[in-house]
Amino acid sequence: MANYREMWEQLGMDLENHDNLCAVLPTAFGDVYLSQENRPESMDFWDMVVADIHGIRPAELIEEQKKGRKVFGTFCVYVPDEVVIAADGIVTGLCGGSQFWVPDGEAVLPKSTCPLIKASVGARLGKTCPFFRIADMYVGETTCDGKKKAWEILGKDVPMYVMDMPQMKRAKDVTKWMEEVEDFAAVVEKTTGKTITPEKLAESIHIINEKRKALARVYETRKADVIPISGKDALLMMQIAFFDDPERCAQMANRLADELEQRVKDGVSVFPAGTKRILVTGTPMAIPNWKLHHIIETSGGAVVCEETCTGTRYFENLVDETGTTLEEQYRAIAERYMGIHCACFTPNTERVDDILRLAKEYKVDGVIDVNLKFCCLYDTEGYVVEKALKEAGIPVLGIETDYTDADAEQLRTRIEAFIEMLG
Amino acid sequence: MAERLNYYILFATYTQGMALKDHLRSAGIPCRISPAPRSIQGELGCGMSLLLEEEHIEAAKQCIRENHAEYYDIQALPCQINAKRGRFC
Repeated sequence: MANYREMWEQLGMDLENHDNLCAVLPTAFGDVYLSQENRPESMDFWDMVVADIHGIRPAELIEEQKKGRKVFGTFCVYVPDEVVIAADGIVTGLCGGSQFWVPDGEAVLPKSTCPLIKASVGARLGKTCPFFRIADMYVGETTCDGKKKAWEILGKDVPMYVMDMPQMKRAKDVTKWMEEVEDFAAVVEKTTGKTITPEKLAESIHIINEKRKALARVYETRKADVIPISGKDALLMMQIAFFDDPERCAQMANRLADELEQRVKDGVSVFPAGTKRILVTGTPMAIPNWKLHHIIETSGGAVVCEETCTGTRYFENLVDETGTTLEEQYRAIAERYMGIHCACFTPNTERVDDILRLAKEYKVDGVIDVNLKFCCLYDTEGYVVEKALKEAGIPVLGIETDYTDADAEQLRTRIEAFIEMLG
Repeated sequence: MAERLNYYILFATYTQGMALKDHLRSAGIPCRISPAPRSIQGELGCGMSLLLEEEHIEAAKQCIRENHAEYYDIQALPCQINAKRGRFC
């Protein structure tokens, strides 16, 4: 028997409270995922992962730790996985997407902090998530004020390293980010006891590029007139990608892409013809935050693309693989990551360009610009985003929400009205 | 009207669950992978279960026998799935 309870106990988790989380997940997953018809068979893999989300992967990580490998927990798509893997380390995502963790976060953070940060801090301090217990080192970054202060609190409880993100995208900022990547590499080498060589880094750059290509293949099928996969299922694949072994992630995403490409050829859609195609843009949706996608897809819409950190920002653009020296490779890594257009930058007109491009590529009928409550950056940038979309003649609905259930019906009413308005 | 039942096949390990899933799929018996509802999981460490509609459970039991497939238990529950419940994690 896979005795995960013993594993959780050894990790110092609060088993009683963790049981409460285990009790709500099956209901939520059933309502959101198992209520769907005609899902791709390849989603079996991700269903299995969720069914044992605090068991299978944590047990794998612990086995690797026993062999001497180190686990780095990250919170942001700017932290380069390539560097960790080149030093034989393992990366796991740590962003919290459940209201369950929020109260433990609010015990030390202001209520007016975004739910993602509160949930992430709460998952650690409340001892109710194995990934937060397993990670040998947390890697934060300075993408917003809330996170910067949260790292100081987490840093009292767990080894914490913070990468300093530039705020602008000038050439000198790319160079600064390259220096940050090099500094991070030195910390990773010290933690793992392994040296990063150009050969190792070339290999890890290739592994992560292959993962990006596989995820992009799945997204490519969502551009078709028939919609071969729901937005909820695509979101689940993306959310798990942050936790899984990158080579297995690529293998599973490629297998899913094979099935979806066949579905497109066969004209198989998971939505009735005429269902309105929606692009979701804005703040990330960490697992198990499925709320908005579920409401959209049970209100007459289909999410065909996400311009978020749990969407296209995670996999678009590859790291140049032609570098042969560490300097060239760190430069290539810095350039790729600085091409992610987060609202933490000013100016950030490239993100608006991306949204307009994606709206066209995925043939969307409308855009839902979602903002996690108290995320000042995305909330403020929403003005520019929504103005640009309106000028381009693309209907847009701005939404602010959190992880609670309280606004679910209100959101449904607004989204149903928006979709109806799309004709 | 009689309440519709869903059947959950529970396992000691997810490898047992995935093996039976493959057998069921090969036999054309519809099943879905689901987190085991906490009320029936008991002290089992594995959270994975296979969810079947009641009209397929007898065929599934036959498939289990034919393949000597390993499982822990089979439990019936009134259908738990409600897409419009509005409750999230």
